[in-house]
Amino acid sequence: MEIRKLGIVGGGSMGKSIAEKVASNGIDVTVVEVSEAKALRAREELAAGLEHELQKWGITQSEKKVVLSRVTFVADLARVAGTDLVIETVHEDLEAKKDVMRRLEEVCPPERIFITNTSTLSITEIAAASGRPDKVVGVHFLYPVTTSPIVEIVRAVETSDHTFATAVALARVLDKTVIEVFDSPGFVMTRAVLPFLNEAMSLVMEGVASAEDVDRALQLGYEFKFGPLEYADRVGLDKVMGWMEHLFRELGDVKYRPCPLLRKMVRAGYLGRKSGRGFFLYEGHRRVEAPHRERKEVAR
Amino acid sequence: MRVLVLNCGSSSVKYQLVETTLAMIESNSDQAIAKGSVERIGTASAIHTYRPAGREKVSVVKEILEHRVAIAEILRILTDRETGVIEKAADIEAVGHRMVHGGEKFTQSVLVDREVVRQIEDCSELAPLHNPHNLRGYDAARRLLPDVPHAAVFDTAYHQSMPASAYLYGLPYVLYARHGIRRYGFHGTSHRFVGWRSKALLGRPREDTRLVTCHLGNGASVCAIAQGKSVDTSMGFTPLEGLLMGTRCGDLDPAVLFYIMHKEDLTEHQATTMLNKHSGLYGVSGLSNDMVELLAAEEKGHERAKLALDLFCYRVRKYVAAYAGAMGGVDAVIFTGGIGENAAPIRARALAGLEFMGIRVDPGKNAAAVGKEAEISPPDAPVKVLVIPTNEELIIARDTLRLVEGVL
Repeated sequence: MEIRKLGIVGGGSMGKSIAEKVASNGIDVTVVEVSEAKALRAREELAAGLEHELQKWGITQSEKKVVLSRVTFVADLARVAGTDLVIETVHEDLEAKKDVMRRLEEVCPPERIFITNTSTLSITEIAAASGRPDKVVGVHFLYPVTTSPIVEIVRAVETSDHTFATAVALARVLDKTVIEVFDSPGFVMTRAVLPFLNEAMSLVMEGVASAEDVDRALQLGYEFKFGPLEYADRVGLDKVMGWMEHLFRELGDVKYRPCPLLRKMVRAGYLGRKSGRGFFLYEGHRRVEAPHRERKEVAR
Repeated sequence: MRVLVLNCGSSSVKYQLVETTLAMIESNSDQAIAKGSVERIGTASAIHTYRPAGREKVSVVKEILEHRVAIAEILRILTDRETGVIEKAADIEAVGHRMVHGGEKFTQSVLVDREVVRQIEDCSELAPLHNPHNLRGYDAARRLLPDVPHAAVFDTAYHQSMPASAYLYGLPYVLYARHGIRRYGFHGTSHRFVGWRSKALLGRPREDTRLVTCHLGNGASVCAIAQGKSVDTSMGFTPLEGLLMGTRCGDLDPAVLFYIMHKEDLTEHQATTMLNKHSGLYGVSGLSNDMVELLAAEEKGHERAKLALDLFCYRVRKYVAAYAGAMGGVDAVIFTGGIGENAAPIRARALAGLEFMGIRVDPGKNAAAVGKEAEISPPDAPVKVLVIPTNEELIIARDTLRLVEGVL
């Protein structure tokens, strides 16, 4: 199947990032938001993101224009009916995702395939709400979709081979390396990384080493791009905690139980880069050095 | 012979239908009977622009989703009862394809068969942005015109005569052996054409002629030609090396790249795009990569426009002098390409200071030489300076004809 028009439900950071990547690969995109005002804001944010990439020399002025011309933001879900494939990217909440599936079922022709983008939730359960479980497949995109080279494509119990192949075809168009995964909480990537993040947080909580030193050691020692704490800050600590709680509930294993320090920080509103403060301090997208005393306070 | 010349990019096909014979080549009288382009392939609003020689331009906007449809559309318009220049597609007797990279395998143009396609695919790793699209165009054209010969003409082939001392980098030799890391050079068709054409203008046998050809366009390169063969050229493993270009940086200390990536926290993609699309005349001036615009801005006192032009001209001068040195002298310097053919002030500025080598530009002749063949050096100058408009499509058509006639 040739994918020329793609529908995206949800204009949050993941929805916009998928839209940017898809549009820069020559596919027209319709992004659905819940209101005209949100649609307008999502468009402005996409433009701002592209401007940032232009300032980083990653694209040219004309490429920015082309991407913006290919992405349409709307507030009417029925507008995705005319697209070749629909991706749902609403927030990580099972009921919200099931609701989107039910509404998509009403507006889209029966042969339309739906992709659900989630890091942890059950694809099988989401698919069941769609009324066409064989035509639903999970694709776990990593943020930012423009540069992340990998996707997990997740088969639910009833996902058909054709549906799976369509998701693989989309991933190939986007130059992604694909791994095939069978539906299980957290799939491969989220499930494997969470105990690692949790352990790094515990080291800080127990006073074994400072946040800076834990991150520095793991980053340099194992050649990660970021240390686990900065990585968690970048993802958003509330989001990381949500994943852990979900896996803890689903799998019952204590290795997924959120570290108390993480819980405390989220309650204090230290959500990581987006709030300016998490394990480290941030100004906009940039991490900034904290004064020594401040640093201790952040860490404990 | 009517040869259809195709130049396929990722979302475009440029084409010319050329009428040529061996006799016409000798008299340089062969020409395009129609030319055009299809842009924005893959969209519902692809633009087909078609110019039959001596007649009105035609523009068509329609849905064209792939190269095959684009080439079918080209054949349709060429044979159209009103706008066409031929009666039927079968009037096309051969097809010539521009291929960017021929690696070390192709030292001249070839007729394409299955084995050649395989070898071109092997070179694709060296030109991932071009060769696959060139091949896609070939595939489509072969399906639509299965019964005529198809030829491939490579940008790199002409430079395969460079000696190892010119094409090797000072890197561990094993990298050359393992991955083909060496200088290949590009714009070969253009350098070859103006080198060939200069013979008629210089009136001396090419066997003892040393030329420095300057192809100056948005992409730019200089070539040293001795005895009709390329012995060095300024572009390298990729077109990024050498002169300052429209948006490419040209020669650069590779350590700068790693330093910038670290300092500005850039990804490989961002860094590559910066060097290829945000540098050169555009990056230095902060204004434009358009020569006309930059010259106008400089005139009005725009300092960085002047700086960009100074850098551009200085690099050309350095390469001209270096290649004269490499060949033990130079008999003619040739300008071609959009800037080389039209920007008289740039030509004069690039060669200023080389009078000690016998290179001089006559201001009046230079100013008058815009977009046409001309000698712009004073009659008594030891080194001739020429302007020769390039015609890469014509050389592709000629090579195709020669291959079909068995004389290449």
